[in-house]
Formats: sequence, C-alpha cells, structure tokens
Amino acid sequence: MAGLDTVVQWLQATPASMWINRSTWIWPLCETVHFIGLSLLIGITGVFDLRLMGFFRRVSVAAARELMPLALVGFAMNAVTGLVFLIGLPEQYVHNRVWWYKVGFLLLAGLNALLYETTLSAKVLAGEPGADTPGAVKVIGLVSLVSWFAVLYCGRMLPFIGDAF
Amino acid sequence: MADLLTAIESSTLATWTRESPSIWAFATILTLHTVGLAIVVGANAVVDFRLLGFAPGIPIASLRRLFPLMWWAFALNFLTGVLLFMADATTKAGQGVFVAKLALIGLALLVARLVWKGLGEHERGAGGPVATTLRRLALVSLALWTGAIVAGRLLAYW
Repeated sequence: MAGLDTVVQWLQATPASMWINRSTWIWPLCETVHFIGLSLLIGITGVFDLRLMGFFRRVSVAAARELMPLALVGFAMNAVTGLVFLIGLPEQYVHNRVWWYKVGFLLLAGLNALLYETTLSAKVLAGEPGADTPGAVKVIGLVSLVSWFAVLYCGRMLPFIGDAF
Repeated sequence: MADLLTAIESSTLATWTRESPSIWAFATILTLHTVGLAIVVGANAVVDFRLLGFAPGIPIASLRRLFPLMWWAFALNFLTGVLLFMADATTKAGQGVFVAKLALIGLALLVARLVWKGLGEHERGAGGPVATTLRRLALVSLALWTGAIVAGRLLAYW
C-alpha cells in the first residue's frame, strides 16, 4: 500500500510526531488518559447497552441515556490521545492488522449508535421505567456492547499480535 | 521476603504467565485485566456521578443494582492481578508505585463499601436529597479509582 506509506512518512516528518517521540512524558500521560477515557466510555456505554438489552429496568431508557454525555467525554479523551499515538508512531499501527480490526469495530460501534439514534431511539425513549425493549433494540444494545469490548480487546492486544511493536 | 518473592516468580504458574508464547497467557491475562478495569471503574463512575447530581432521571434507589457487576469485574481483576504480580513479583514488590496502586484500590473498595451502605440507608429513609456524606464519598471514590488507573499505567514506566 504505497499511498498509506506516503501518509506514514509524511506523518513521521511532522513536527508534532517528532515532538511526541522526543518527549519522555507525553506518551505515559496519554496512555493514562486513554485508560481513564476507556473506563468512562466502555463502562458507561456498557450500562446503557445493558438497559437497551432489557436489564436494569428500574431505570427508564431515557434516564439511562442521561449518562451518555459522560461516555462521550471518555470518547473525546480517547480520540485525542489515540491521535497522539497514531501521529507519534504511525507505522506501528497501520502495519498491524489488529489495529485495523480495532478501527473496524470502532466504525461498527459508531454506525450502530447512529442507526439507533436515527431510527429506534425516539420510540424507546417514550417508554416508562420498567418497560421492556423491543427485540431490535436488544440487538442494537448487544452489538454495541460486543463491539466496544472488541475495540478494547484489539487495542490492548496490539503489542502482542502482528509483531508490529 | 526476597526468597518468597523469588519462589513465587519462579513457580510454574508465574513462569507460564510470563514466558508462554501462547496468546492465552500474558497477553490475554493483561487484556482481561483491562476489561475488568473498564467495568469496575465505569460502573463506579455511574454511581458516583449520579450521587453528585449527574443524570438525575436515574433513581438513587436503583444504583445498588450496579454493585454485583462491579464485584464480579473486581473478582476478575483480583485474579488477573494476582497472576500478573506473580509473573513479576520481585520487581513489582519493590515498586513504590505498585504499593501505591494497591493502597488506592484498598481505599477505593472501602469507600465503595461505605457508598453501598449509604445507598441502603437512603433507600430505607424517605429518599429525598442525597446526604452530603454520600456525595463526598462519591467524589473520593472517583479520585481513588482515577488514582489507581494512573498508578497502574505508570507501572509500565517506573
């Protein structure tokens, strides 16, 4: 993939990339923030997903959804720190198939959430506490839960699969 | 003490965890530790942020339902944590940041226990506003779990 290598070489030559690599503290700081972000993102989204799947029915779907801004804060933390990693060591990521799986599951989780918000969300939000969710919503919740944990799995497995590190 | 740590580190289980080329050894144990961390800290964050006034639509009385999830995930992290410690016992035991991590987790568990009790009292009472003590515990809980993550991550660099 010549085009990809051009991008990698361009990224590596950017002042930002060189700065990230020269610094002794940026990488540890970003990794720490990445772990705090993943806890907020996956832990909180997971609770919402479980509600969509019909668990925790004492909480209405609308109330559980009030948590999602916090999950988005976690996502923002991880998007920023993830970009720092990618800019710092692009070749390490783009030449690792597990990283592409991670990107794939990220897209799946995002599209799944988009599908839910644009089609089924309004109907479910009207539900009372205690209300069960329709089958389609349960599937959305399950896909979300599985894909976010797959993102986590692929991310944590990056140093161990594919010999890129 | 040093002999004990060396014995632990050279045990069959520790050696397998550390040296097995299998993806199911070190890599999977470490990944499961991260999975558990996300559930423990994420579910705790839900409880803590709700007590601090976030997501007011969630009934306080429902928060106790999240604790079993946290305990199961914590059990996973205790187990994987013991294995990861065994694999590197002589180094880890001497790392100040590792001792700090354990202390932060110990305190966080104690606070979680107090929050659990506080939630029970809130349920038995008339409901109403969340007690100031409980809100303070929530803030301390967030700080302790965040600190535990920071310490855990810094272990790789110290």
